[in-house]
Amino acid sequence: MRDTFVREMEMIDQDVVRMGALVEKAVEEANLALAENDRERAFRVMANDDQVDALFVSVEKQALAILAQQQPVARDLRLIITILRAVNELERTGDLAYNIAKVVVDGGELEPPRPLRTLIYELGEASIRIMGRAIDAWATKDLALATEISEMDDEIDSLYAELFCELVEVRSDTDFHTAMNLVLVGRWFERIADHAVNISEGIRYYITGDTELLG
Amino acid sequence: MSPEPISATLESLPRLTVRESVEPPQVGGLAEPAFSVQELEVSYRGKPALKDVTMDIAQREITSIIGPSGCGKSTLIRCFNRMNDLVPGASMKGRVLYHGEDIYAANVDPVAVRRRVGMVFQRPNPFPKSIRDNVAFGAKINGYRGNMDELVESCLRRAALWDEVKDELKKSALALSGGQQQRLCIARALAVEPDVILMDEPASALDPVSTTRIEDLMQELKRDYTIVIVTHNMQQAARVSDKAAFLYTEVDEAAHSRWGILVEYGDTKKIFTNPSDKRTEDYVSGRFG
Repeated sequence: MRDTFVREMEMIDQDVVRMGALVEKAVEEANLALAENDRERAFRVMANDDQVDALFVSVEKQALAILAQQQPVARDLRLIITILRAVNELERTGDLAYNIAKVVVDGGELEPPRPLRTLIYELGEASIRIMGRAIDAWATKDLALATEISEMDDEIDSLYAELFCELVEVRSDTDFHTAMNLVLVGRWFERIADHAVNISEGIRYYITGDTELLG
Repeated sequence: MSPEPISATLESLPRLTVRESVEPPQVGGLAEPAFSVQELEVSYRGKPALKDVTMDIAQREITSIIGPSGCGKSTLIRCFNRMNDLVPGASMKGRVLYHGEDIYAANVDPVAVRRRVGMVFQRPNPFPKSIRDNVAFGAKINGYRGNMDELVESCLRRAALWDEVKDELKKSALALSGGQQQRLCIARALAVEPDVILMDEPASALDPVSTTRIEDLMQELKRDYTIVIVTHNMQQAARVSDKAAFLYTEVDEAAHSRWGILVEYGDTKKIFTNPSDKRTEDYVSGRFG
C-alpha cells in the first residue's frame, strides 16, 4: 500500500511541475504578444488556458482521493495541503495570462508610447523570472531558493510604482482606454509575482512545518 | 514524622458526584498534571521492557500512547494503576506521581490506586451477571451506601448505554453486542468514581460504528475524567487525543535485548502535522512499524 501511495504522491507532485511549466510559458507568451502586438500569439495563449484548467481539476481530484483514501499525515499531509494551495495559485496565474492576452486581442491598435512599452515588458519579464524560480523551487523542494523568492518581490513592486509615475507623466498623449489597460496589465503582472511568492511560501511550509507561512 | 498514608491522600481528593454533569466542557487540561512519570524503567525478569520514560499526563485531557508492537505501550499504561504488580517477575525503577503522590511508595495500597485509576481492556470483559449487577458490583464492594438504582442509571447514562438497556437491566450482560459490552465495562469502571480511566485498545475488537460511539463517549468523559488510551489505530489517536506519546523499540543486538523508549511526546496536532523526530514521522506516516 505504501508503494502505491508513494507513486500517487510522485505523480501528483509532477503534475504540479507540468502545470507550472504551462503557466510560465503562458505568461511569457502573453508578454511577448503584448510587446509585439501579436494577436495570433495572444489567441494561442487564451486557447491554451483550457489545458491549465484541466490540469488544475485533475490535481484537485487526485489530492482529494489521496486525502480520503490514504489519510496522509505529517510531511505527506503538508505536501498535499501545499499542492492544493499551489495549483490554486497557478490556476489564477493562468487566468491572468489569459487576461493580458485578451487585452492584446481586444485592443486592436493598442500602441502605448515607447517608454511605457519597455517598462511593461520589463515588469512582465520580472514576473516571469520570479514565477520560473518558484516552479524550480517546487521541482527541487529547495528551501534556500524558496526563501530567496519570498524576498524577490521588491523589484516587481518598484517597477509597478515606476509604471504608475510614467502613466501620470504621459497621460496627456495616452488615450484613456490604453492607460486603463496598462494599469490593469501592470497590476496583473504584479499579482503573478504575488502568486509566485505564495507558492514559495507553501514550499517553505512543506519543508519546515512552520504554520506561520500559511498566512 | 511519618508521612500521611497515601490512601488517605487519595481519599481526600475531590470525589466526583454521581450525577449528570452540568458544568460547561473543560477547555484544555488543568494546570497540575494528573500523573508525573519520572525516569520510569520497567523490567520483566530482569530484562528491560521500557526505559527512561519521563512525561506528565494532563488532567481532563485524552493522552494517547502510540507505537509499534512490542514498544512497551501496554507496559507503560499499566504503570498508572499498578497493574504491572500483578505480572510475575515485573519490577520498576523511577517514580509515578499521581497528583504529586508516589503511587509506588511502600505504604500505598494498590487497590486504592486502582479505585481512582480505572481501566478498560481491549476485549470487553463483563461479568456473567446481569447488566445492573455488572455496574453495581464494584460500588457494592466499595461499600457504596447511596441509591444503587440511581448510581446504575447515572453510570449507564454517562457510558451512553442507558437508552439501549434501560428496559432490560436484568438481562445477562453477555447478551449485549461487543460495542455495548465495552460501554458496559466503561459504566462499570465509572461506578467506583475514578478520576482517571485507562483504556488499552478499547475499540480494536469493535466494528466502526461501535468504535465511533466509544470515541464520542471519550470526548464526553473527558469533561470529568483524565483519559489515557493505548491504540494501534493511528487515525484514532489523531481523532480523539489532545496529547500523543510515541514509543519506539530500541534494540541491543549483542545482548539480544529490546526495550521501549519514549521518542516524542506533545500536542497530537503537532505529532500528526509536524513531528520533531524522524522516527515519529516515519511511524505516523506508515513508513515502518
